[in-house]
Amino acid sequence: MSDLDRQIEQLKKCEPLKESEVKALCLKAMEILVEESNVQRVDAPVTICGDIHGQFYDMKELFKVGGDCPKTNYLFLGDFVDRGFYSVETFLLLLALKVSYILLLQMLIQKIGNVRYPDRITLIRGNHESRQITQVYGFYDECLRKYGSVNVWRYCTDIFDYLSLSALIENKIFSVHGGLSPAISTLDQIRTIDRKQEVPHDGAMCDLLWSDPEDIVDGWGLSPRGAGFLFGGSVVTSFNHSNNIDYICRAHQLVMEGYKWMFGNQIVTVWSAPNYCYRCGNVAAILELDENLNKQFRVFDAAPQESRGAPAKKPPPDYFL
Amino acid sequence: MHAALPLQAERLFIGFEPVTSSLVCAVLGIATHGLRIHGWEIETRKRSILKSSTIDEWEQKLPTSHLPEMVFGENSLVLKHVKSGTKIHFNAFDALRGWKQEALPPVEVPAAAKWKFRSKPSEQVILDYDYTFTTPYCGSETIEIDKDENGEVHEENCNLKWEDCQEKIDLVALASKEPILFYDEVVLYEDELADNGVSLLTVKVRVMPSSWFLLLRFWLRVDGVLIRLRDTRMHCVFGGTANPIILRETCWRESTFQALTAQGYPFDSAAYSDPTIISQKLPIVLHKTQKLTVSA
Repeated sequence: MSDLDRQIEQLKKCEPLKESEVKALCLKAMEILVEESNVQRVDAPVTICGDIHGQFYDMKELFKVGGDCPKTNYLFLGDFVDRGFYSVETFLLLLALKVSYILLLQMLIQKIGNVRYPDRITLIRGNHESRQITQVYGFYDECLRKYGSVNVWRYCTDIFDYLSLSALIENKIFSVHGGLSPAISTLDQIRTIDRKQEVPHDGAMCDLLWSDPEDIVDGWGLSPRGAGFLFGGSVVTSFNHSNNIDYICRAHQLVMEGYKWMFGNQIVTVWSAPNYCYRCGNVAAILELDENLNKQFRVFDAAPQESRGAPAKKPPPDYFL
Repeated sequence: MHAALPLQAERLFIGFEPVTSSLVCAVLGIATHGLRIHGWEIETRKRSILKSSTIDEWEQKLPTSHLPEMVFGENSLVLKHVKSGTKIHFNAFDALRGWKQEALPPVEVPAAAKWKFRSKPSEQVILDYDYTFTTPYCGSETIEIDKDENGEVHEENCNLKWEDCQEKIDLVALASKEPILFYDEVVLYEDELADNGVSLLTVKVRVMPSSWFLLLRFWLRVDGVLIRLRDTRMHCVFGGTANPIILRETCWRESTFQALTAQGYPFDSAAYSDPTIISQKLPIVLHKTQKLTVSA
């Protein structure tokens, strides 16, 4: 058993790796991710997953429902970290699965010649894969708590800069964490972004990771916060048409039912964190596409209480004033 | 056996008089907890966030096109004075009605300054609702007027006669470590402000042998911009009289990040995750104490 296989077994039990192991894993991952396109090509069949947010035991439920990687081909739409209790284990398990599969492929390619093998696990960047956001919403504190230093947070956030920004499944389904941008009308415009940086506060890269579809506008809307675009049905129609896309698949927003179509099936939100923040009681979903791009949503619940290390549901009595 | 009982029976109260043992009563899977003490029935209910179809209904009823991301629409805390039929209760719908009425102007996040110089799409709608869901809500009040022959209870919304008063909630008495017979915390709604902070409305209750006490708290942090805390506390000391007295203290506090850093407090949002700890650093913008005599 290789070191990496052993590490994967360890992570599957939700046990964190040593700091030195995280460093080595991130270095290998960086070599792989740097080669990826901003619009990463993905073959069908594939299973698309939305936000996970450090809910490790619920991600294990996801793998129970969707099948193990690499037997099932996965596309994760970002937001691996923050909010939940196990961001470190969640992100590193996904990263280790990716690296181990690619290393296996590289070995095969050396033996049997230069054949194109598709990846089996594609990870794209969510708005939480950022230094600034993780310092406020949990991942930074978790690293500090579990390792006593912020080195692991540094290795991981350096990797975030290399994650791809979007994926294109069989040239027909465009996948991104947040949504569209008024600065982007073609996929080639996404391909020209220099993504290897912290998520900026504005511009095309920011929009792809942050924007939301909105029922009450038809074209573009500006959030009442004064930053953040909202896009309506006609924006999606024209994007899909000019890029010859069937529909857009995105994550980023909590949906009680696990998935939600908008604008006459032109865009779908997929949410994969059941019982979000351990208290919302929502179900989660993943979208399975077969080789002919037939869709099937698989809806699943949170892991049962006894199988997780989460704190008890009922708060202890508190002498609040 | 329980399954055949009408819904009413599912709400099983554990009487404090004379039973003092178990206080948990999640019956038939309904997350309802409560107790009966000194003529009060105190009950909390906790469920999932609203489904999309119910969200649509609420949007029409309020009316609004936006609701918090997490609306715990079936959660509640109810305190009922059995003899008088007076009910003080807390729920998300009434709180959001308050938000709609107050309708504060939106607060700009720090990135907005940069966005003003961005090239805009030719047609752009600027949304201007109060995305912080700030509410003046301090609880709902109903009174049971009668029971018809089918045993169904008729209720009507009312405004109970709260009077301004000089008395203060006795925090010293409340700080004593009297046993807590019943405790719960109920979230009414929550929004992550699209990762620009937090907006959270919760109500906590604790019942001791000598009194009940609750804290309704609206907590808002717009990262880098604003912190707002709106607390409503109610305290009712159990006494010998038939007409209990409830004291209600409302305290609103608010500060900008700029003002906090000017006083030497940190700027980074992670330092402001627990409202209880930072509450004292925030200046008071509204404070009043009122009293209600519950009478039959």
